[in-house]
Amino acid sequence: MAFARNKLLIAAVAVVALLLPLLLQRHYVDVMVFAGLYGIAGLGVALLLGQCGIVSLGQAFFYGIGAYSSAYLCVTLGLSPIFGIVVGAALSALIAFIIGWPILRLTGFFLALATLAIGMIGGILFYEWDWLTGGTLGIGGIPTLSLFGFELNTPQRYYYFVWAIFLVAIWLSHNLVTGRAGLAMRAMRDAPPAAEALAVDMHALKTKIFVLCAVLGSLAGSLFAHYATYVSVQSFTVERSIIFLLIPVIAGAASVWGTIIGALFVALAPELLSGLGDAHQVLFGLALVLVVTLLPEGIVGLPKLVMKRFGA
Amino acid sequence: MSPAPVTAKSARLVLDVQGVAHRFGGLRVLEDVNIAAPESQIVGLIGPNGSGKTTLFNIITGFIRPRSGTVSVNGRDVAQDSIQQRSRDGLLRTFQTPKVFDHMTVLENVMMGMHAHTSSGVLATMFAMPSARRELASTRASALQTCERFGIAHLAATRAGELPAGLRRVVELARAHQAKPKLLLLDEPSSGLSGPEIDTLRGWIRVFASEGTTVLLVSHDMGLMDVCDVVNVLYFGRVIATGPMAAIRDDQKVRDAYLGAA
Repeated sequence: MAFARNKLLIAAVAVVALLLPLLLQRHYVDVMVFAGLYGIAGLGVALLLGQCGIVSLGQAFFYGIGAYSSAYLCVTLGLSPIFGIVVGAALSALIAFIIGWPILRLTGFFLALATLAIGMIGGILFYEWDWLTGGTLGIGGIPTLSLFGFELNTPQRYYYFVWAIFLVAIWLSHNLVTGRAGLAMRAMRDAPPAAEALAVDMHALKTKIFVLCAVLGSLAGSLFAHYATYVSVQSFTVERSIIFLLIPVIAGAASVWGTIIGALFVALAPELLSGLGDAHQVLFGLALVLVVTLLPEGIVGLPKLVMKRFGA
Repeated sequence: MSPAPVTAKSARLVLDVQGVAHRFGGLRVLEDVNIAAPESQIVGLIGPNGSGKTTLFNIITGFIRPRSGTVSVNGRDVAQDSIQQRSRDGLLRTFQTPKVFDHMTVLENVMMGMHAHTSSGVLATMFAMPSARRELASTRASALQTCERFGIAHLAATRAGELPAGLRRVVELARAHQAKPKLLLLDEPSSGLSGPEIDTLRGWIRVFASEGTTVLLVSHDMGLMDVCDVVNVLYFGRVIATGPMAAIRDDQKVRDAYLGAA
Protein backbone atom coordinates (compact mmCIF):
# COMPACT_ATOMS: atom_id res chain seq x y z
CA MET A 1 0.00 0.00 0.00
CA ALA A 2 2.65 2.47 1.09
CA PHE A 3 4.81 1.23 -1.75
CA ALA A 4 2.08 1.87 -4.33
CA ARG A 5 1.58 5.35 -2.91
CA ASN A 6 5.31 6.00 -3.11
CA LYS A 7 5.32 4.90 -6.74
CA LEU A 8 2.52 7.32 -7.50
CA LEU A 9 4.39 10.13 -5.76
CA ILE A 10 7.59 9.37 -7.69
CA ALA A 11 5.65 9.33 -10.97
CA ALA A 12 4.07 12.69 -10.16
CA VAL A 13 7.44 14.22 -9.28
CA ALA A 14 8.94 12.82 -12.49
CA VAL A 15 6.19 14.39 -14.63
CA VAL A 16 6.65 17.76 -12.94
CA ALA A 17 10.42 17.52 -13.35
CA LEU A 18 10.07 16.76 -17.06
CA LEU A 19 7.64 19.61 -17.70
CA LEU A 20 9.42 22.13 -15.47
CA PRO A 21 11.75 23.69 -18.07
CA LEU A 22 8.81 24.29 -20.39
CA LEU A 23 6.85 26.10 -17.68
CA LEU A 24 9.52 28.10 -15.91
CA GLN A 25 11.08 31.36 -16.95
CA ARG A 26 14.52 30.97 -18.49
CA HIS A 27 16.16 32.44 -15.40
CA TYR A 28 14.69 29.77 -13.15
CA VAL A 29 15.66 27.01 -15.54
CA ASP A 30 19.18 28.36 -15.22
CA VAL A 31 18.88 28.11 -11.43
CA MET A 32 17.68 24.54 -11.79
CA VAL A 33 20.74 23.69 -13.91
CA PHE A 34 22.94 25.00 -11.12
CA ALA A 35 20.96 22.96 -8.59
CA GLY A 36 21.86 19.87 -10.64
CA LEU A 37 25.53 20.84 -10.95
CA TYR A 38 25.85 21.61 -7.24
CA GLY A 39 23.93 18.43 -6.47
CA ILE A 40 26.50 16.26 -8.27
CA ALA A 41 29.35 17.85 -6.31
CA GLY A 42 27.29 17.77 -3.10
CA LEU A 43 26.56 14.09 -3.56
CA GLY A 44 30.26 13.34 -3.15
CA VAL A 45 30.35 15.36 0.06
CA ALA A 46 27.17 13.56 1.19
CA LEU A 47 28.83 10.16 0.81
CA LEU A 48 31.73 11.31 2.98
CA LEU A 49 29.56 12.99 5.60
CA GLY A 50 26.52 10.74 5.76
CA GLN A 51 28.20 7.38 5.35
CA CYS A 52 31.72 7.89 6.72
CA GLY A 53 31.16 10.78 9.13
CA ILE A 54 33.82 12.88 7.40
CA VAL A 55 33.32 16.64 7.00
CA SER A 56 34.80 17.88 3.72
CA LEU A 57 35.42 21.60 3.27
CA GLY A 58 37.58 21.15 0.18
CA GLN A 59 35.19 20.00 -2.55
CA ALA A 60 35.50 23.27 -4.51
CA PHE A 61 39.13 22.34 -5.18
CA PHE A 62 38.09 19.25 -7.15
CA TYR A 63 35.21 21.19 -8.73
CA GLY A 64 37.89 23.64 -9.90
CA ILE A 65 40.19 20.91 -11.21
CA GLY A 66 37.34 19.58 -13.36
CA ALA A 67 36.39 23.03 -14.61
CA TYR A 68 39.96 24.10 -15.45
CA SER A 69 40.79 20.76 -17.07
CA SER A 70 37.83 21.17 -19.37
CA ALA A 71 38.61 24.83 -20.03
CA TYR A 72 42.33 24.34 -20.62
CA LEU A 73 42.10 21.23 -22.76
CA CYS A 74 39.24 22.53 -24.90
CA VAL A 75 40.23 26.17 -25.30
CA THR A 76 44.02 26.25 -25.04
CA LEU A 77 44.79 22.83 -26.53
CA GLY A 78 41.71 22.55 -28.71
CA LEU A 79 40.85 19.00 -27.66
CA SER A 80 37.40 17.45 -27.61
CA PRO A 81 35.34 18.07 -24.42
CA ILE A 82 35.42 14.41 -23.44
CA PHE A 83 39.18 14.70 -22.85
CA GLY A 84 38.68 17.56 -20.43
CA ILE A 85 36.06 15.65 -18.47
CA VAL A 86 38.09 12.43 -18.31
CA VAL A 87 41.45 14.11 -17.59
CA GLY A 88 39.83 16.25 -14.89
CA ALA A 89 38.28 13.21 -13.21
CA ALA A 90 41.50 11.19 -13.42
CA LEU A 91 43.60 14.07 -12.12
CA SER A 92 41.16 14.67 -9.26
CA ALA A 93 41.19 10.99 -8.37
CA LEU A 94 44.98 10.94 -8.33
CA ILE A 95 45.29 14.10 -6.24
CA ALA A 96 42.56 12.93 -3.86
CA PHE A 97 44.43 9.67 -3.39
CA ILE A 98 47.79 11.37 -2.77
CA ILE A 99 46.30 13.86 -0.28
CA GLY A 100 43.69 11.52 1.17
CA TRP A 101 45.97 8.63 2.06
CA PRO A 102 47.93 10.61 4.69
CA ILE A 103 45.17 12.93 5.99
CA LEU A 104 42.47 10.27 6.36
CA ARG A 105 44.34 8.94 9.39
CA LEU A 106 43.01 12.06 11.11
CA THR A 107 39.47 12.17 12.47
CA GLY A 108 36.81 14.70 13.43
CA PHE A 109 37.71 18.37 13.54
CA PHE A 110 41.34 17.77 12.59
CA LEU A 111 40.31 16.07 9.39
CA ALA A 112 37.75 18.79 8.65
CA LEU A 113 40.49 21.39 9.09
CA ALA A 114 42.78 19.44 6.77
CA THR A 115 40.10 19.46 4.04
CA LEU A 116 39.59 23.18 4.64
CA ALA A 117 43.31 23.63 4.03
CA ILE A 118 43.00 21.72 0.75
CA GLY A 119 40.20 24.04 -0.33
CA MET A 120 42.14 27.18 0.62
CA ILE A 121 45.41 26.08 -0.97
CA GLY A 122 43.48 25.07 -4.08
CA GLY A 123 41.90 28.52 -4.28
CA ILE A 124 45.33 30.17 -3.99
CA LEU A 125 46.83 27.91 -6.67
CA PHE A 126 44.00 28.66 -9.07
CA TYR A 127 44.66 32.36 -8.50
CA GLU A 128 48.46 32.23 -8.74
CA TRP A 129 48.83 29.81 -11.66
CA ASP A 130 47.33 32.26 -14.10
CA TRP A 131 49.26 30.77 -17.04
CA LEU A 132 46.99 27.75 -16.59
CA THR A 133 43.79 29.18 -15.17
CA GLY A 134 43.75 32.72 -16.48
CA GLY A 135 43.68 33.97 -12.85
CA THR A 136 40.99 36.54 -12.21
CA LEU A 137 40.42 37.03 -15.94
CA GLY A 138 39.55 33.37 -16.25
CA ILE A 139 39.17 31.34 -19.41
CA GLY A 140 36.36 32.13 -21.81
CA GLY A 141 35.10 30.63 -25.04
CA ILE A 142 34.62 27.12 -23.68
CA PRO A 143 32.49 25.24 -26.22
CA THR A 144 29.05 23.98 -25.25
CA LEU A 145 28.61 20.22 -25.20
CA SER A 146 26.81 18.29 -27.84
CA LEU A 147 25.37 14.83 -27.49
CA PHE A 148 25.09 12.75 -30.68
CA GLY A 149 25.09 15.94 -32.74
CA PHE A 150 22.48 17.57 -30.48
CA GLU A 151 23.75 20.91 -29.17
CA LEU A 152 23.23 21.40 -25.43
CA ASN A 153 23.27 25.15 -25.86
CA THR A 154 20.16 26.28 -23.98
CA PRO A 155 19.36 26.08 -20.27
CA GLN A 156 16.38 23.83 -21.12
CA ARG A 157 18.51 21.26 -22.89
CA TYR A 158 21.25 21.42 -20.30
CA TYR A 159 18.68 20.97 -17.53
CA TYR A 160 17.70 17.54 -18.84
CA PHE A 161 21.32 16.58 -19.42
CA VAL A 162 22.64 17.60 -15.99
CA TRP A 163 19.72 16.17 -14.05
CA ALA A 164 19.98 12.88 -15.92
CA ILE A 165 23.62 12.66 -14.86
CA PHE A 166 22.75 13.71 -11.31
CA LEU A 167 20.08 11.00 -11.06
CA VAL A 168 22.38 8.32 -12.45
CA ALA A 169 25.05 9.38 -9.92
CA ILE A 170 22.48 9.15 -7.12
CA TRP A 171 21.39 5.73 -8.31
CA LEU A 172 25.01 4.52 -8.31
CA SER A 173 25.51 5.99 -4.84
CA HIS A 174 22.32 4.35 -3.66
CA ASN A 175 23.67 0.97 -4.81
CA LEU A 176 26.92 1.68 -3.04
CA VAL A 177 25.30 2.74 0.22
CA THR A 178 22.95 -0.23 0.40
CA GLY A 179 25.65 -2.72 -0.62
CA ARG A 180 28.57 -4.33 1.16
CA ALA A 181 30.79 -1.24 1.07
CA GLY A 182 27.95 0.95 2.33
CA LEU A 183 27.33 -1.31 5.30
CA ALA A 184 31.03 -1.21 6.12
CA MET A 185 31.10 2.59 5.80
CA ARG A 186 28.19 3.08 8.18
CA ALA A 187 29.60 0.48 10.55
CA MET A 188 32.90 2.34 10.82
CA ARG A 189 31.04 5.63 11.33
CA ASP A 190 28.91 4.16 14.16
CA ALA A 191 31.49 2.06 16.03
CA PRO A 192 35.02 2.10 14.60
CA PRO A 193 36.52 -0.53 16.97
CA ALA A 194 33.74 -3.02 16.20
CA ALA A 195 34.06 -2.41 12.45
CA GLU A 196 37.80 -2.96 12.67
CA ALA A 197 37.27 -6.15 14.66
CA LEU A 198 35.07 -7.39 11.80
CA ALA A 199 37.96 -6.91 9.35
CA VAL A 200 36.85 -3.60 7.79
CA ASP A 201 39.95 -1.90 6.38
CA MET A 202 38.82 1.56 7.45
CA HIS A 203 41.69 3.57 6.02
CA ALA A 204 41.43 2.01 2.57
CA LEU A 205 37.65 2.41 2.51
CA LYS A 206 37.78 6.07 3.55
CA THR A 207 40.38 6.73 0.87
CA LYS A 208 38.22 5.13 -1.82
CA ILE A 209 35.20 7.24 -0.87
CA PHE A 210 37.36 10.36 -0.72
CA VAL A 211 38.52 9.62 -4.29
CA LEU A 212 34.94 9.00 -5.39
CA CYS A 213 33.87 12.30 -3.83
CA ALA A 214 36.64 14.10 -5.74
CA VAL A 215 35.61 12.50 -9.05
CA LEU A 216 32.01 13.67 -8.56
CA GLY A 217 33.28 17.17 -7.73
CA SER A 218 35.44 17.20 -10.84
CA LEU A 219 32.61 15.98 -13.07
CA ALA A 220 30.35 18.73 -11.74
CA GLY A 221 33.14 21.26 -12.40
CA SER A 222 33.59 20.11 -16.00
CA LEU A 223 29.86 20.26 -16.65
CA PHE A 224 29.76 23.73 -15.10
CA ALA A 225 32.56 24.93 -17.42
CA HIS A 226 30.74 23.73 -20.53
CA TYR A 227 27.50 25.30 -19.36
CA ALA A 228 28.84 28.69 -18.29
CA THR A 229 31.41 28.67 -21.18
CA TYR A 230 33.57 30.80 -18.91
CA VAL A 231 35.43 29.96 -15.70
CA SER A 232 37.33 32.10 -13.21
CA VAL A 233 38.69 31.81 -9.67
CA GLN A 234 35.54 33.26 -8.06
CA SER A 235 33.73 29.98 -8.64
CA PHE A 236 36.18 27.84 -6.67
CA THR A 237 36.50 29.53 -3.29
CA VAL A 238 35.99 27.99 0.14
CA GLU A 239 32.53 29.57 0.11
CA ARG A 240 31.61 27.21 -2.72
CA SER A 241 32.92 24.26 -0.68
CA ILE A 242 30.63 25.33 2.15
CA ILE A 243 27.66 25.40 -0.26
CA PHE A 244 28.51 21.84 -1.28
CA LEU A 245 28.74 20.77 2.36
CA LEU A 246 25.39 22.42 3.10
CA ILE A 247 23.65 20.16 0.59
CA PRO A 248 23.89 17.00 2.71
CA VAL A 249 23.64 18.95 5.97
CA ILE A 250 20.32 20.49 4.96
CA ALA A 251 18.87 17.41 3.37
CA GLY A 252 19.89 14.93 6.04
CA ALA A 253 23.27 13.43 5.32
CA ALA A 254 22.34 9.77 5.55
CA SER A 255 20.02 9.85 2.54
CA VAL A 256 21.58 9.97 -0.92
CA TRP A 257 18.20 10.81 -2.50
CA GLY A 258 17.96 13.71 -0.06
CA THR A 259 20.79 15.46 -1.90
CA ILE A 260 18.15 16.44 -4.48
CA ILE A 261 16.33 18.45 -1.80
CA GLY A 262 19.59 19.87 -0.46
CA ALA A 263 20.67 20.92 -3.94
CA LEU A 264 17.32 22.60 -4.65
CA PHE A 265 17.55 24.42 -1.33
CA VAL A 266 21.03 25.87 -1.82
CA ALA A 267 20.27 26.89 -5.40
CA LEU A 268 16.70 28.14 -5.01
CA ALA A 269 16.57 29.67 -1.53
CA PRO A 270 18.97 32.56 -2.27
CA GLU A 271 17.12 33.21 -5.55
CA LEU A 272 13.70 33.27 -3.96
CA LEU A 273 14.94 35.45 -1.10
CA SER A 274 16.80 37.87 -3.39
CA GLY A 275 13.53 39.67 -4.11
CA LEU A 276 13.68 40.92 -0.54
CA GLY A 277 16.70 43.10 -1.25
CA ASP A 278 19.77 43.39 0.92
CA ALA A 279 18.28 41.31 3.70
CA HIS A 280 18.31 38.15 1.57
CA GLN A 281 21.72 36.94 2.70
CA VAL A 282 20.76 37.31 6.32
CA LEU A 283 17.50 35.48 5.65
CA PHE A 284 19.35 32.67 3.87
CA GLY A 285 21.59 32.34 6.92
CA LEU A 286 18.55 32.33 9.17
CA ALA A 287 16.84 29.66 7.05
CA LEU A 288 19.97 27.53 7.35
CA VAL A 289 20.14 27.89 11.11
CA LEU A 290 16.46 26.97 11.39
CA VAL A 291 16.82 23.85 9.27
CA VAL A 292 19.95 22.67 11.05
CA THR A 293 18.67 23.27 14.59
CA LEU A 294 15.04 22.23 14.19
CA LEU A 295 15.60 19.24 11.91
CA PRO A 296 18.42 17.05 13.25
CA GLU A 297 17.89 14.60 10.39
CA GLY A 298 17.53 17.33 7.78
CA ILE A 299 14.54 18.09 5.58
CA VAL A 300 14.33 14.39 4.67
CA GLY A 301 13.58 13.63 8.32
CA LEU A 302 10.70 16.15 8.41
CA PRO A 303 7.81 13.74 7.63
CA LYS A 304 8.97 11.34 10.34
CA LEU A 305 9.26 14.18 12.83
CA VAL A 306 5.74 15.40 12.03
CA MET A 307 4.36 11.87 12.32
CA LYS A 308 6.05 11.44 15.68
CA ARG A 309 4.65 14.67 17.05
CA PHE A 310 1.14 14.68 15.64
CA GLY A 311 0.56 11.08 14.59
CA ALA A 312 -0.58 8.19 16.70
CA MET B 1 55.13 -26.60 27.81
CA SER B 2 51.57 -25.42 27.94
CA PRO B 3 50.13 -25.10 31.43
CA ALA B 4 46.58 -25.80 30.28
CA PRO B 5 45.51 -29.41 30.63
CA VAL B 6 45.22 -30.87 27.17
CA THR B 7 42.13 -33.00 27.15
CA ALA B 8 41.57 -36.08 25.06
CA LYS B 9 38.61 -34.36 23.37
CA SER B 10 40.89 -32.22 21.29
CA ALA B 11 44.59 -31.64 21.39
CA ARG B 12 44.79 -28.92 18.78
CA LEU B 13 45.39 -25.48 20.30
CA VAL B 14 43.46 -22.69 18.62
CA LEU B 15 44.98 -20.12 20.94
CA ASP B 16 48.41 -20.51 22.46
CA VAL B 17 49.85 -17.60 24.42
CA GLN B 18 53.47 -18.19 25.38
CA GLY B 19 55.67 -16.11 27.65
CA VAL B 20 53.83 -12.84 27.11
CA ALA B 21 55.17 -9.91 29.09
CA HIS B 22 54.17 -6.25 28.99
CA ARG B 23 54.80 -3.07 30.90
CA PHE B 24 53.40 0.43 30.86
CA GLY B 25 56.41 2.63 31.56
CA GLY B 26 58.00 1.17 34.68
CA LEU B 27 54.90 -0.77 35.68
CA ARG B 28 54.99 -4.47 34.89
CA VAL B 29 51.46 -5.57 34.12
CA LEU B 30 52.13 -9.02 32.66
CA GLU B 31 55.01 -11.42 33.31
CA ASP B 32 55.59 -14.69 31.49
CA VAL B 33 51.92 -15.40 30.90
CA ASN B 34 51.01 -18.74 29.29
CA ILE B 35 47.42 -19.53 28.34
CA ALA B 36 46.11 -22.10 25.92
CA ALA B 37 42.70 -22.75 24.43
CA PRO B 38 42.11 -26.12 22.73
CA GLU B 39 39.67 -26.31 19.84
CA SER B 40 35.96 -25.98 20.68
CA GLN B 41 36.60 -25.39 24.37
CA ILE B 42 35.44 -22.55 26.56
CA VAL B 43 38.39 -21.08 28.41
CA GLY B 44 37.96 -18.54 31.18
CA LEU B 45 40.24 -15.78 32.37
CA ILE B 46 39.53 -14.23 35.76
CA GLY B 47 41.40 -11.99 38.10
CA PRO B 48 40.81 -9.01 40.36
CA ASN B 49 40.98 -5.44 39.07
CA GLY B 50 44.52 -4.54 38.08
CA SER B 51 45.55 -8.15 37.53
CA GLY B 52 46.29 -7.50 33.85
CA LYS B 53 43.19 -9.18 32.37
CA THR B 54 42.32 -6.31 30.09
CA THR B 55 45.92 -5.86 28.95
CA LEU B 56 46.17 -9.56 28.11
CA PHE B 57 42.83 -9.40 26.30
CA ASN B 58 44.02 -6.41 24.29
CA ILE B 59 47.26 -8.18 23.42
CA ILE B 60 45.40 -11.23 22.12
CA THR B 61 42.93 -9.14 20.11
CA GLY B 62 45.61 -6.87 18.67
CA PHE B 63 44.76 -3.56 20.35
CA ILE B 64 48.16 -3.71 22.11
CA ARG B 65 51.43 -5.28 20.84
CA PRO B 66 53.26 -7.21 23.61
CA ARG B 67 56.84 -6.39 24.62
CA SER B 68 57.75 -10.06 24.38
CA GLY B 69 56.18 -13.46 23.94
CA THR B 70 54.06 -15.07 21.23
CA VAL B 71 50.33 -15.20 20.58
CA SER B 72 49.64 -18.14 18.28
CA VAL B 73 46.29 -18.58 16.60
CA ASN B 74 45.99 -21.92 14.83
CA GLY B 75 49.73 -22.38 15.16
CA ARG B 76 50.73 -19.06 13.63
CA ASP B 77 52.19 -16.21 15.69
CA VAL B 78 49.93 -13.16 15.24
CA ALA B 79 51.41 -11.02 18.04
CA GLN B 80 52.50 -8.29 15.61
CA ASP B 81 49.56 -8.55 13.17
CA SER B 82 46.93 -5.84 12.75
CA ILE B 83 43.41 -6.19 14.11
CA GLN B 84 41.96 -6.66 10.62
CA GLN B 85 44.54 -9.31 9.78
CA ARG B 86 43.62 -11.24 12.92
CA SER B 87 39.97 -10.88 12.06
CA ARG B 88 40.58 -12.36 8.61
CA ASP B 89 42.34 -15.24 10.37
CA GLY B 90 39.15 -15.99 12.30
CA LEU B 91 39.63 -14.10 15.56
CA LEU B 92 36.74 -11.96 16.77
CA ARG B 93 36.15 -9.97 19.94
CA THR B 94 33.14 -8.42 21.62
CA PHE B 95 33.20 -5.39 23.89
CA GLN B 96 32.44 -4.81 27.54
CA THR B 97 29.72 -2.34 26.50
CA PRO B 98 28.11 -3.95 23.46
CA LYS B 99 29.31 -2.10 20.38
CA VAL B 100 26.46 -2.36 17.93
CA PHE B 101 26.12 -0.07 14.91
CA ASP B 102 23.52 2.31 16.34
CA HIS B 103 22.15 3.82 13.13
CA MET B 104 21.98 0.53 11.28
CA THR B 105 19.13 -1.94 11.54
CA VAL B 106 19.47 -5.15 13.50
CA LEU B 107 19.56 -7.07 10.22
CA GLU B 108 22.32 -4.83 8.85
CA ASN B 109 24.28 -5.30 12.06
CA VAL B 110 24.13 -9.06 11.67
CA MET B 111 24.97 -8.77 7.94
CA MET B 112 28.19 -6.97 8.95
CA GLY B 113 29.29 -10.22 10.54
CA MET B 114 29.83 -11.54 7.02
CA HIS B 115 32.18 -8.72 6.01
CA ALA B 116 35.34 -10.81 6.12
CA HIS B 117 33.66 -13.63 4.19
CA THR B 118 32.43 -11.43 1.32
CA SER B 119 34.40 -9.57 -1.29
CA SER B 120 32.29 -7.22 -3.48
CA GLY B 121 34.30 -4.07 -4.15
CA VAL B 122 33.18 -0.44 -4.34
CA LEU B 123 32.81 -0.37 -8.14
CA ALA B 124 31.05 -3.74 -8.41
CA THR B 125 28.58 -2.58 -5.77
CA MET B 126 27.99 0.81 -7.41
CA PHE B 127 27.27 -0.64 -10.81
CA ALA B 128 25.09 -3.35 -9.26
CA MET B 129 27.07 -6.14 -10.90
CA PRO B 130 25.25 -9.49 -10.74
CA SER B 131 28.00 -10.95 -8.52
CA ALA B 132 27.62 -8.12 -5.98
CA ARG B 133 23.83 -8.41 -6.00
CA ARG B 134 23.95 -12.17 -5.51
CA GLU B 135 26.43 -11.83 -2.69
CA LEU B 136 24.33 -9.18 -0.96
CA ALA B 137 21.14 -11.25 -1.33
CA SER B 138 22.77 -14.34 0.16
CA THR B 139 24.31 -12.27 2.97
CA ARG B 140 20.88 -10.87 3.78
CA ALA B 141 19.18 -14.29 3.69
CA SER B 142 21.82 -15.83 5.90
CA ALA B 143 21.70 -12.93 8.37
CA LEU B 144 17.93 -13.20 8.55
CA GLN B 145 18.25 -16.88 9.48
CA THR B 146 20.69 -15.95 12.22
CA CYS B 147 18.25 -13.29 13.48
CA GLU B 148 15.54 -15.92 13.66
CA ARG B 149 17.80 -18.28 15.53
CA PHE B 150 18.69 -15.60 18.08
CA GLY B 151 15.05 -14.61 18.46
CA ILE B 152 15.48 -11.09 17.08
CA ALA B 153 13.87 -11.54 13.64
CA HIS B 154 10.92 -9.36 14.69
CA LEU B 155 13.45 -6.56 15.34
CA ALA B 156 15.24 -6.97 12.01
CA ALA B 157 14.16 -3.54 10.74
CA THR B 158 14.71 -1.73 14.08
CA ARG B 159 17.73 0.49 14.54
CA ALA B 160 20.13 -1.25 16.90
CA GLY B 161 20.72 1.97 18.87
CA GLU B 162 17.10 1.94 20.00
CA LEU B 163 17.42 -1.43 21.77
CA PRO B 164 17.96 -1.95 25.53
CA ALA B 165 21.33 -3.27 26.74
CA GLY B 166 20.28 -6.91 26.92
CA LEU B 167 19.13 -6.98 23.31
CA ARG B 168 22.19 -5.07 22.14
CA ARG B 169 24.26 -7.90 23.58
CA VAL B 170 22.13 -10.43 21.70
CA VAL B 171 22.64 -8.47 18.47
CA GLU B 172 26.38 -8.42 19.09
CA LEU B 173 26.38 -12.18 19.69
CA ALA B 174 24.26 -12.81 16.58
CA ARG B 175 26.69 -10.69 14.56
CA ALA B 176 29.59 -12.68 16.00
CA HIS B 177 27.80 -15.92 15.17
CA GLN B 178 27.34 -14.72 11.59
CA ALA B 179 31.09 -14.14 11.37
CA LYS B 180 31.74 -17.81 12.27
CA PRO B 181 35.00 -17.06 14.08
CA LYS B 182 37.47 -19.79 14.97
CA LEU B 183 38.28 -17.96 18.19
CA LEU B 184 35.74 -15.75 19.95
CA LEU B 185 36.93 -13.45 22.71
CA LEU B 186 34.24 -12.19 25.06
CA ASP B 187 35.09 -9.20 27.25
CA GLU B 188 32.87 -9.11 30.36
CA PRO B 189 29.83 -10.26 28.34
CA SER B 190 27.50 -10.35 31.35
CA SER B 191 28.03 -6.73 32.36
CA GLY B 192 24.73 -4.87 32.43
CA LEU B 193 22.65 -8.03 31.95
CA SER B 194 19.90 -9.31 34.26
CA GLY B 195 19.81 -12.82 35.76
CA PRO B 196 17.66 -14.48 33.06
CA GLU B 197 19.66 -12.68 30.37
CA ILE B 198 22.86 -14.13 31.80
CA ASP B 199 21.33 -17.62 31.59
CA THR B 200 20.58 -16.99 27.92
CA LEU B 201 24.14 -15.74 27.43
CA ARG B 202 25.51 -18.92 29.00
CA GLY B 203 23.42 -20.93 26.53
CA TRP B 204 24.79 -19.01 23.54
CA ILE B 205 28.38 -19.43 24.69
CA ARG B 206 27.79 -23.19 24.75
CA VAL B 207 26.28 -23.03 21.25
CA PHE B 208 29.40 -21.32 19.92
CA ALA B 209 31.63 -24.04 21.42
CA SER B 210 29.41 -26.88 20.23
CA GLU B 211 29.65 -25.52 16.68
CA GLY B 212 33.44 -25.50 16.70
CA THR B 213 34.26 -22.00 17.89
CA THR B 214 36.82 -21.78 20.66
CA VAL B 215 35.78 -19.23 23.29
CA LEU B 216 37.96 -17.16 25.60
CA LEU B 217 35.82 -15.59 28.27
CA VAL B 218 37.16 -12.73 30.34
CA SER B 219 35.01 -11.83 33.31
CA HIS B 220 34.93 -11.34 37.03
CA ASP B 221 31.43 -12.80 37.13
CA MET B 222 32.07 -16.07 39.00
CA GLY B 223 28.62 -17.40 38.19
CA LEU B 224 29.25 -17.14 34.48
CA MET B 225 32.59 -18.95 34.77
CA ASP B 226 30.74 -22.22 35.31
CA VAL B 227 30.38 -22.56 31.54
CA CYS B 228 34.15 -22.80 31.15
CA ASP B 229 36.00 -26.06 30.57
CA VAL B 230 39.15 -24.48 31.97
CA VAL B 231 39.68 -21.31 33.97
CA ASN B 232 42.92 -19.34 34.28
CA VAL B 233 43.39 -17.08 37.27
CA LEU B 234 45.50 -14.00 36.72
CA TYR B 235 46.97 -12.21 39.73
CA PHE B 236 49.39 -9.28 39.52
CA GLY B 237 50.35 -10.15 35.98
CA ARG B 238 50.93 -13.87 36.52
CA VAL B 239 48.77 -16.94 35.99
CA ILE B 240 48.53 -18.44 39.50
CA ALA B 241 46.12 -21.28 38.76
CA THR B 242 44.67 -23.16 35.81
CA GLY B 243 41.95 -25.80 35.90
CA PRO B 244 38.22 -26.51 35.97
CA MET B 245 36.16 -24.01 37.96
CA ALA B 246 35.44 -26.55 40.72
CA ALA B 247 39.16 -27.05 41.34
CA ILE B 248 39.85 -23.32 41.11
CA ARG B 249 37.31 -22.65 43.86
CA ASP B 250 39.17 -24.97 46.21
CA ASP B 251 42.67 -23.75 45.35
CA GLN B 252 44.17 -22.15 48.44
CA LYS B 253 46.31 -19.69 46.47
CA VAL B 254 43.27 -18.47 44.55
CA ARG B 255 41.19 -18.22 47.71
CA ASP B 256 43.85 -16.11 49.35
CA ALA B 257 44.47 -13.94 46.37
CA TYR B 258 41.07 -13.43 44.92
CA LEU B 259 38.01 -15.19 46.19
CA GLY B 260 38.68 -14.43 49.81
CA ALA B 261 39.06 -10.78 49.04
CA ALA B 262 35.93 -10.60 46.91
